[in-house]
Amino acid sequence: MGAAFDTIAFKASLCDGCGDCMKTCSEVKGGASRLAIVPGAKEGGFELAICRQCGDPKCVQVCPSGALAKDGDSGVIGWDAQKCVDCLLCTAGCAYAGIAVDPQAARVAKCDQCDGDPACVKACPTGALEWRRAGSLYREYGDKEDLFVPGLSGCQGCNSELIMRHAMRKIGRNSVLATPPGCIPGMGSVGYNGKTGTKVPVFHPLLTNTASMLSGIRRYYDRIGRKDIVVMALAGDGGTADCGFHAVSGAAERGEKILYICVDNEGYMNTGMQRSGTTPYGSWTSTTPVGEHLKGKTQDAKNLPLILTAHKCRYVATASTGYMEDLYEKLDRAVEASFEGFSYLHIYSPCPTGWRVPSSKVIEACRMSVDSNFVTLWEYTNTAGLRFTRSPDNPIPVVDYVRTIGKYRHLDAGQLAHIQAKVDEQVALLKLMAADSPSPPAAHRAPGGGEAPAAAGSLSGPLRQEIARN
Amino acid sequence: MSDVKTGKVIVCDGNEAAAWGACLSRPDMVAVYPITPQSSLVEYLAEFIADGRMSADLMDVEGEHSVLSVLHGACLAGARTYSATSAQGLAYMFEPYFRTPGLRLPMVVSLVTRDAVSPTCVWGGQQDAMTVKEVGWIHMYCETQQEILDTIPIAYKVAEHPDVMLPVNVNHDGNYLSYGVARVELPDQQVVDSFLGEKNVNWHACLDPERPMAVDPLTGGSGGVGPATFVRYRKGHCAGMQAALSVIEEAHADWGRRTGRYWSPLIEEYRMDDAEVALVTIGSMTGAAKDAVDEARLDGRKVGIVKIKTFRPFPVQRVAKALSKVRAIGVVDRAVNFGWNSGPVYQEVLAALYHLPVRVPAMSFIGGLAGADITVEHFAGVVDRTLRLAAGEAANGPVWLNEND
Repeated sequence: MGAAFDTIAFKASLCDGCGDCMKTCSEVKGGASRLAIVPGAKEGGFELAICRQCGDPKCVQVCPSGALAKDGDSGVIGWDAQKCVDCLLCTAGCAYAGIAVDPQAARVAKCDQCDGDPACVKACPTGALEWRRAGSLYREYGDKEDLFVPGLSGCQGCNSELIMRHAMRKIGRNSVLATPPGCIPGMGSVGYNGKTGTKVPVFHPLLTNTASMLSGIRRYYDRIGRKDIVVMALAGDGGTADCGFHAVSGAAERGEKILYICVDNEGYMNTGMQRSGTTPYGSWTSTTPVGEHLKGKTQDAKNLPLILTAHKCRYVATASTGYMEDLYEKLDRAVEASFEGFSYLHIYSPCPTGWRVPSSKVIEACRMSVDSNFVTLWEYTNTAGLRFTRSPDNPIPVVDYVRTIGKYRHLDAGQLAHIQAKVDEQVALLKLMAADSPSPPAAHRAPGGGEAPAAAGSLSGPLRQEIARN
Repeated sequence: MSDVKTGKVIVCDGNEAAAWGACLSRPDMVAVYPITPQSSLVEYLAEFIADGRMSADLMDVEGEHSVLSVLHGACLAGARTYSATSAQGLAYMFEPYFRTPGLRLPMVVSLVTRDAVSPTCVWGGQQDAMTVKEVGWIHMYCETQQEILDTIPIAYKVAEHPDVMLPVNVNHDGNYLSYGVARVELPDQQVVDSFLGEKNVNWHACLDPERPMAVDPLTGGSGGVGPATFVRYRKGHCAGMQAALSVIEEAHADWGRRTGRYWSPLIEEYRMDDAEVALVTIGSMTGAAKDAVDEARLDGRKVGIVKIKTFRPFPVQRVAKALSKVRAIGVVDRAVNFGWNSGPVYQEVLAALYHLPVRVPAMSFIGGLAGADITVEHFAGVVDRTLRLAAGEAANGPVWLNEND
């Protein structure tokens, strides 16, 4: 899948310029800090000067002694002190001020990402610095078999295809996949007239009975001793939250051992962008239009994952394609949990067509939805309770997110205030649940994300170990 | 016959008889949701499983829609499956019910027939089953408790036959049969085992990582191979239904050889040899009809009965042939065909009669709705009216048998 590498990411909006990162780098590495927090273009703001570990590094090109070289495995541009002739051309060659000069040693000092565990990120108290592992994740999954054919006809910019392909790469061939009517089969996963787009057993359940059909499949395979098959759905929000909810709720109540992934694009997008129970307040849809009398949806969205926690499921989690590391970790845990009980993963996935978002802005929209708490990232198990996997503290205003989405273009100040109040209310409720949960909130790193949760081990029970997976 | 083993004899109602029929057929999965007058049937199943008499997985699900849906999943994974429902349960089940035969899933589901809401009622009638007659399931109607028990293994044999591969409803009348008690002989398990043989329910369509395939991709449309592909499925479904006619006969004969009980597989002709007029009946009403015909015969009136056992596929040739020699026909229904202002079986019989070179006058009688009795006296009235029809009195109707009860 080409070269992709992990990286230190910087979110200027969270940086307060405390300098802890520089201090830590200096201590850990000895001498000058390899990164610098500098005043930003925006009044009172800050920017980060650090080696970007460029794919086409100018520093390497200008180095006359061959002291700088990009490592093919880690992507880090390494500096060889033995070869360096201290000409400092690299510091001038870098457009990002990414290579520092240690004034005392009079030598260059550049970031080596601490061998994949950067000290600066751990020192950052606000979450402005983040260690993003998407690169190695993409490379890892790039090597696995893609279980869908090329050329699925999803809309440009839609994340459903990304979710499908990556989920099935991870899960593999020993699976049975339900894709109820919606965008996912609409783009050809089950297929048309005798031809299929999927390499694993796949089927259209009815829109209304996905969880029930999966229950029957799982029970029979358990009965005949084939307990290692992942029995799963890639469903939409309408079939899950509305007309198929009886089946989801029933299967959850019975503790059926299935993996139910709901890809939530906030409406019936495949049929032309109609309102669903998960469509947020204020949204334009084709059945909640905007005109003189109507101003979009007048009710709040049903919080489906939260409802599932009330079923005491083995596992419930939310995820966003804006934060793939988090999504991947939850997918792993969701698959494991599906051998022990009902396992539900709710992935928020914008619809560029129906939300009126440019394809190029979809991932950005995902990130802003999380950063504003419009979408919260958390997980729940029936033994460890609920915990955030990404801190909801210090959110950006919801209006900043909402303004990027065309379906909210018409919102007035009152509607915006309603949305902000609802988001705050939801977060307050989740915080109460997290505080009430057996696993201490301190177990996860605040405020960043991406670290393996302390509770993950609770799913690796004896039953799980008995199951010999392929 | 010497190789027939007589089983244990019990006294039970029709719902228990159905549960025994299911138990002896060894389904892998039973999904249940209670509804009057079916409830005791699923309670018996749960009891059998609890007591270890039956080894099926019991799926207590949240409604009939999921009853059939979990069984769809199980069947596609390879399970033999069973359930039962009535009226509103069937209505709620309709979405997956509609899909079952198209997937060619060889399931067996008992319909404990009941009249449909509204008016709100919980009593026997055949409006539920008759309303779904065009969905593509095989429908067999039973007359007695013993026939219910015996027809369920027969239904599996038919459903799972490779030339058929269609779901079967084994129907018995709510109240009269569901709660009515009679002597019933239980066949030995090994008799049923050897009758049914090994199951193979998903050779044609399965959800199995060892045989990956896409089940039910979008099919049809106006372009490419769509139209022809869709027609191929529908035509195949019709061919399966037609093939079922002979398979049903063979299965009943095979069952008879093993148990000594030979049930009429498609239609039963009762005292039809020299009959001048015929009644057409379906289900448990036939018992009262037979008594009425016997009495009429004592008076020298030549009346016979054609009882429909297999309603879908409709045994057109058999019905036409059986009725070819009579001069008038009275068809008694326990349901209403609103579009034709008659009973539904009546319309089926009229369509079959079109295959005859002569026009035989017929009349529609409707009775037994919402738990009402169709008594011997009612049938005596039907006999009288049908004889008058044969004598030249104009047809009218439908005649509502319980209108003045």
